[in-house]
Amino acid sequence: MSPKAVQYRANSIIYFKGDQSERIFLLNSGKVSLNYVDIETGQEVRDLIKMGEFFGVKSALGRYIREETAVVLQDAAVMVFSVPEFESLASKNTRIIMKMLKVFSNQLRRIHRQVQNLMVSDEQVNPETGLYKIGEYYLKNKRYGQALHAYKRYLVYYPSGSFASDVAIKLQQAEEFLSRYGSGSPPASASAPTPSPIQPSLSAPSRSAASAAPAATSDQAQGYYNAVSLVSQEKFLEAFKAFKKILEGGADPEYTAKAEFEMAKCLFYLKQFDNCIKSFTAIVQKQPKHPEMKDALFFVGRSYEEKGDKVKAGGFYKKIISMGPEDDPVIRKVRKALRTLEGEKV
Amino acid sequence: MSPAAGPDLSMFNRFSTTFRKGDLIFCEYEPGDTFYLIQAGRVQIVRIIGDLEKNIDILYPGEVFGEMAILEEAPRSATTIALDDVKALEFTRENFEVLMMGNPQIAMKLLKLFVKRIYDQKRRFMILTLDDIEAKVADVFLMLAENQAIDTSAVDTIDFKTTVDDMSHWAGIPPGQCREVLNHFVAQRRIELHPDRIVVKNINDFGRFVNSRRKKQEK
Repeated sequence: MSPKAVQYRANSIIYFKGDQSERIFLLNSGKVSLNYVDIETGQEVRDLIKMGEFFGVKSALGRYIREETAVVLQDAAVMVFSVPEFESLASKNTRIIMKMLKVFSNQLRRIHRQVQNLMVSDEQVNPETGLYKIGEYYLKNKRYGQALHAYKRYLVYYPSGSFASDVAIKLQQAEEFLSRYGSGSPPASASAPTPSPIQPSLSAPSRSAASAAPAATSDQAQGYYNAVSLVSQEKFLEAFKAFKKILEGGADPEYTAKAEFEMAKCLFYLKQFDNCIKSFTAIVQKQPKHPEMKDALFFVGRSYEEKGDKVKAGGFYKKIISMGPEDDPVIRKVRKALRTLEGEKV
Repeated sequence: MSPAAGPDLSMFNRFSTTFRKGDLIFCEYEPGDTFYLIQAGRVQIVRIIGDLEKNIDILYPGEVFGEMAILEEAPRSATTIALDDVKALEFTRENFEVLMMGNPQIAMKLLKLFVKRIYDQKRRFMILTLDDIEAKVADVFLMLAENQAIDTSAVDTIDFKTTVDDMSHWAGIPPGQCREVLNHFVAQRRIELHPDRIVVKNINDFGRFVNSRRKKQEK
């Protein structure tokens, strides 16, 4: 079989809208128009086919019904291809496909926009919030590798976005959990991938990686994760109580220290700024080389700012910035906070 | 890598990239400027809808994903996860032509993918432009039947593996409103509503209903 040359008289129809056929046409001479109703405007549209142009491609390749009627306006000479004949021709001349890819991608872009415009507003999530929520979903479902990836992407695109400080904290949590449990889970959830060993490709240099403990899911660890999950749900009072329980019952110094830190953070979110300052001050005095010193001082600075003490707040911000390095996400946040603070003073 | 049947892509090794099992390849909503051709391993496409991770598709070697990035740097419309260790060719708008010119089979595959996407979007548009919300929901059932290539002239009752949230997404209406419509259909005994599936008693009845609403609207 090979493509056939076919002559059509003026006013004849090559195919009707609604037909189903696997024929593809190439216009060699004459005039052919594709008539259809624009789905957006409801108007009748007539597209003239140019000489050397293919038509009927989409419906033939996708095996859909014809969406337009092909009308011959002036006597026309047309080559008729079956789908395999068309594919064989195109594979020898990729330019044909490239040209169509461009036409189709324009059509796709247009229809995509039209659909987006019709979506109800709550379907249209702002990309920043959307990306943040993906990290949240995976963290909540203990799929730390995936949470980590989503949070990292967030900080790449929105380094000073509205969730940036939250993301920076959660990214650390995800890193810690990942280095401890791999991308699997504590406790195994049915949908998670099979627990695999630590994934070096995912765990970027982490301050806490060195402290990776043997993977034992003690009650204390479980309690800690539950409390962290309360923080991510912004249930700070409940989280505070849960951390307090760990602190009081705690034998494992790693978790008691973490719980203490998290409690101090909860105090900030509970707007107990004096208590927050007191707690963090105690923490950093106890451990002058605390791995999250900058975060701790940032909470102290923010607490002063909330209390209206801009001088003290500015002092803490400047101190954190002097600790470097420049590209640390915490430093970036602090720099922004300082700019805002100084802007307000003027 | 096991030489998968298909075109010889060794000349494109410089575009080669790997992902470990469980890696997120890209996230929904992140800006996208790359697309991928899978050479080894499987890739899962998911969307997080509410509190659920919904599986959209699982792709195998030889398949392409992220191709919307060829069009524009729009946010990704889904999240992709490596189900195995995955080897893929990574392309950008800049090097895409080089790949296509040398690989008509891939170009043809992409062309067919675009045809399907255009059709899917048009079908979606048809649902969204219906004024009557009951007709929208009914039309989603018709679309799902078409996607499963069900011959509606031969059957009446169809069991759809779908949920209220899915239905509301396709119909472009809030879930609460969608549930109301579905409850109304239940009361009319047109459907049975289960947690993980919906049984449509008479799909042709929905077909007639949607057609009449569409005609009325065109006048």
